[in-house]
Amino acid sequence: MTQGDSDATLVGRVLGGDVDAFGGLVARHRERGMRFAAAMLGDAADAEEALQDAFVRAYRSLRTCREPARFDAWFMRILVNRCRTRGAMRGRAARLFVSDESAVERAAARPGGDPDWREEIDRALARLDAMQREAFVLKHVEGLEYEEMARLTGARVPALKMRVKRACDRLRVLLREVDDARIR
Amino acid sequence: MNVRLLMVAAALGALAPPAAARAQTERLAGRVEARTRAAVEALVDSARAAGLPGGPLVNKALEGASKGADGARIVAAVRTLSRNLARARSALGSASAEAELVAGAAALQAGVEASFLELLRAERRREPVVVSLAVMADLVANGVPPDTAAQAVLALARVGTREAELVAFRQSVERDVALGAPAGAAASLRLNEGARQAFVDQANTFAPANRTPRKP
Amino acid sequence: MRESADDPLIARVAEELRRPVAVRPGFDERVMAAVRRPVDHLPVRAWTWLREPRTLAVSPLGGLAMAAGLAALLVVGTWRPGSETGPSGALGDAPAGAAQAASADAASLVTFVLLEPRAGAVTLAGDFNGWDAARTPLRRESSGIWTIDVPLRPGRYRYAFVVDGRRFVADPAAPRAVGDDFGQPTSVVTVGGAARAAGGLL
Repeated sequence: MTQGDSDATLVGRVLGGDVDAFGGLVARHRERGMRFAAAMLGDAADAEEALQDAFVRAYRSLRTCREPARFDAWFMRILVNRCRTRGAMRGRAARLFVSDESAVERAAARPGGDPDWREEIDRALARLDAMQREAFVLKHVEGLEYEEMARLTGARVPALKMRVKRACDRLRVLLREVDDARIR
Repeated sequence: MNVRLLMVAAALGALAPPAAARAQTERLAGRVEARTRAAVEALVDSARAAGLPGGPLVNKALEGASKGADGARIVAAVRTLSRNLARARSALGSASAEAELVAGAAALQAGVEASFLELLRAERRREPVVVSLAVMADLVANGVPPDTAAQAVLALARVGTREAELVAFRQSVERDVALGAPAGAAASLRLNEGARQAFVDQANTFAPANRTPRKP
Repeated sequence: MRESADDPLIARVAEELRRPVAVRPGFDERVMAAVRRPVDHLPVRAWTWLREPRTLAVSPLGGLAMAAGLAALLVVGTWRPGSETGPSGALGDAPAGAAQAASADAASLVTFVLLEPRAGAVTLAGDFNGWDAARTPLRRESSGIWTIDVPLRPGRYRYAFVVDGRRFVADPAAPRAVGDDFGQPTSVVTVGGAARAAGGLL
């Protein structure tokens, strides 16, 4: 029913009073949104809440979406902000990780330890500065161009490039040991 | 993180847990390390197979994670809770609600004998026992000896005390203790005259036959 | 950055992060339900497993404790406009205008209060929110009183306040938890009015 309809069409229908049409937008943008939020927040439950939150806000402020054909970028901006807010809240609450042995030992203890690879990445990402993490995910996970990232985040391109570079440098340091143990 | 869970299960050579259990333990994702999560999931599976709720076990693990406890301690606490939930179920009956089992486990952990739970269930046959058990545990937390706490609540239950009054009783004892009264005495004195007699009678009736010192 | 794009480690990280992450079943439905819900101003996030919260039933000491700025109220019943018998209580037992919860699912609003004038942030972590110290921030009222209302179904919940993201603080007016508290101060709140389940544990 709404499968083939473009974002612009669906937005138009919602603004015309067809609430159900918003469901089509949710279905279409849910996967990408979840991927981004999970990478930013490192926790599926948090990510899901942030994503749901973002969708509801998008619905309530849909009238301010100036380019319905670019709903995806407009929605992404809302989601970026939701993740920033949740990330800031967690920063204050200083989530405590379970203390454990070194990453190398754990990685070596698991043959083909892929399930932990994601967890290692999440831990490493959590240790990045929030803006660096965001820039890294937008660039390398979402595959955005710097100009688009600038429109989304409000930061300038040179600053974004520096954040991505610093994020990569830090991730290399944090993950190199783990990665070496994995490859073996 | 569903993909990760299945890979862990495969790596452990185990069958993937049933969907409902998996939904519960998914809350552990990102909160505890993988090894701890696997151990907790195994405990949840066993508990569910025995007809016990998994939610409280996951909550316990999350509590430990939130407080920065190491994996071994978390697993031990979950195991202890699972044991006490089983004992509570055995004493309170298999038709018990989850909240009753949780409160029962707390009372048992506080040192209340299982036989008191059986007697309480017999007293309050048609009513939930969550608050009664909770008051038992809370009294012990205030310093009242477990037997005294249990006998007091049972005495009150026998005379049909309502939940609000049980709570008021506990608060009164708490106040007395805060003002310097010995906890056991405070509990006894706070019972009214009618209940006091019942309390005295029951102190003679309720003393469980086999009393061995046990670790909570 | 060209350099990073060539780096195999970064490429592997990106590849892992690009894997789809599942949402819980019913996500779309939950979103649409939230979208359709009239905007409210509850200070607390309504968890989807709870029904609409009832009004608070306060113990006689509740008012006193609130004035002192320190209380975790023990809620033993729920108010319901109009009168109704619950499965376990006769109408005569309840205070006028109130009754025991008519169903096991009915939640009560519990108010948590902590006096902590020097804190920058106070949150709640407990059994009712997955011990997530970030999920339930308290609202700062006047002169260092922090507060929040939480809808809770009948049951027993362990919890603690988390001050400035670091320090676990027990509720001074609530009973302490029994059992292993992992070395951190922990309190307990019990919400009454639970109907007895016929079976079918969670």
